[in-house]
Amino acid sequence: MNSVQDRLDAIVGEFADLDGREKLELLVDFANGLPPLSQEYEARKAAEDRRVHECQTPVFLWTEVEDGRAKLTAEVAPEAPTVKGFVAILAEAVNGRPIGDVATLSDDFLDRMGLIDILGMMRARGLRAIVARVKRGFAQCAAAGS
Amino acid sequence: MPDYVHPDVLVSTEWVAGHLSDPNVRIVESDEDRALYTQGHVPGAVEIDWAVDLQCPVERDYIDRAAFEKLCAERGISNDTTVVFYGDKNNWWACYAFWVFKLYGHKDCRIMNGGRKRWELDGRAWSNERVSYPHASYAAQEQDGSIRALRDEVLKHCKAGKQLLDVRSPEEYRGERMHMPDYPNEGAVRGGHVPGALNVPWPMNCNDDGTFKSAKELEKLYIKELKMKRRSPTIAYCRIGERSSLTWFVLTYLLGFGNVKNYDGSWLEWGNCVRVPIAKGAEPGGAKAAPAAAHA
Repeated sequence: MNSVQDRLDAIVGEFADLDGREKLELLVDFANGLPPLSQEYEARKAAEDRRVHECQTPVFLWTEVEDGRAKLTAEVAPEAPTVKGFVAILAEAVNGRPIGDVATLSDDFLDRMGLIDILGMMRARGLRAIVARVKRGFAQCAAAGS
Repeated sequence: MPDYVHPDVLVSTEWVAGHLSDPNVRIVESDEDRALYTQGHVPGAVEIDWAVDLQCPVERDYIDRAAFEKLCAERGISNDTTVVFYGDKNNWWACYAFWVFKLYGHKDCRIMNGGRKRWELDGRAWSNERVSYPHASYAAQEQDGSIRALRDEVLKHCKAGKQLLDVRSPEEYRGERMHMPDYPNEGAVRGGHVPGALNVPWPMNCNDDGTFKSAKELEKLYIKELKMKRRSPTIAYCRIGERSSLTWFVLTYLLGFGNVKNYDGSWLEWGNCVRVPIAKGAEPGGAKAAPAAAHA
């Protein structure tokens, strides 16, 4: 199985040659592909504090470990397709990978995808905060398990 | 539209639906989240993005006059086009784009009341087709300094005890937090407000469906309760100038204030400036507060 970085590189490759409008369309495709929460997570959403408070729109994230592998589950409000698409990309990159591997995730892929040019620095900062949050979440999982 | 001082600047979703093919009208979407436009926009609408299209990539300023002319020309907007702005978040960014268009002297600008939310609630169709129009020719004016306040002017205004409005959340105003609830801190090193500023959080201008509150409600808030005067020079600010452009729009067009400026540098500039006065807590403080304190 590919590493987190390999998976991200593949996604970066998909974005790299697209024009601005196509990049946004691909981001929307990713957003549409983020599955809705299962009933279990819907119930947990109400009971647990999973809201990402740094984030501009309602974003709920779970960073968990299943058989030593990373499992990122998320819900992002429909009025924020950029964030939703970005979270879907992160899920695709990390899910099923050893949690230690997530620590190697570098946020320079935002730049390599050309997202900063189409979103601007301020929005990019918000997305970087999500990467940091995901990494921190899995680092805590790793620390708890060791 | 009832009793607004300049009701012609607001159009309904119904009006827009009836003018989708009008060659004299250009519909412009401006959003917080750009991908919303990609996902689906009002048929025929073009996009103008606050960060990518309106801001200068080098200096911290707006695009210059030549770049603004190019932006309009590419979207088929000429000097006599009626430009109707709408967007997400109760038309924050739509008001911001409207304000930048006024900065460069565009004559006929309007806001679609309720923005994306009202269009959706009305069950109107979205389109994800790519939109392009033949190039237009556009000649912009020099920036209109009468609607934009820069830092030094805000400092003078503050020291003179003139009308100042802080439209951020009460927590930001009091200096307890330096960004909107749930938003990332975009880099102010000090919290609080410009001394003398009244706090009217921007959502107080809007209804739940994204439309503006009635003239009566707005008058009650600004004129009766806060005792603001239509003729007095007023400066509004927020964190980066977007929420305050909505308040600028409300005061200027809906309530008919004669001299309102948007301080687009806002808290992101003020909260980083060396040796500018800052007030903490729920009270406005400032020049007017001093004599009152002396009497007490």
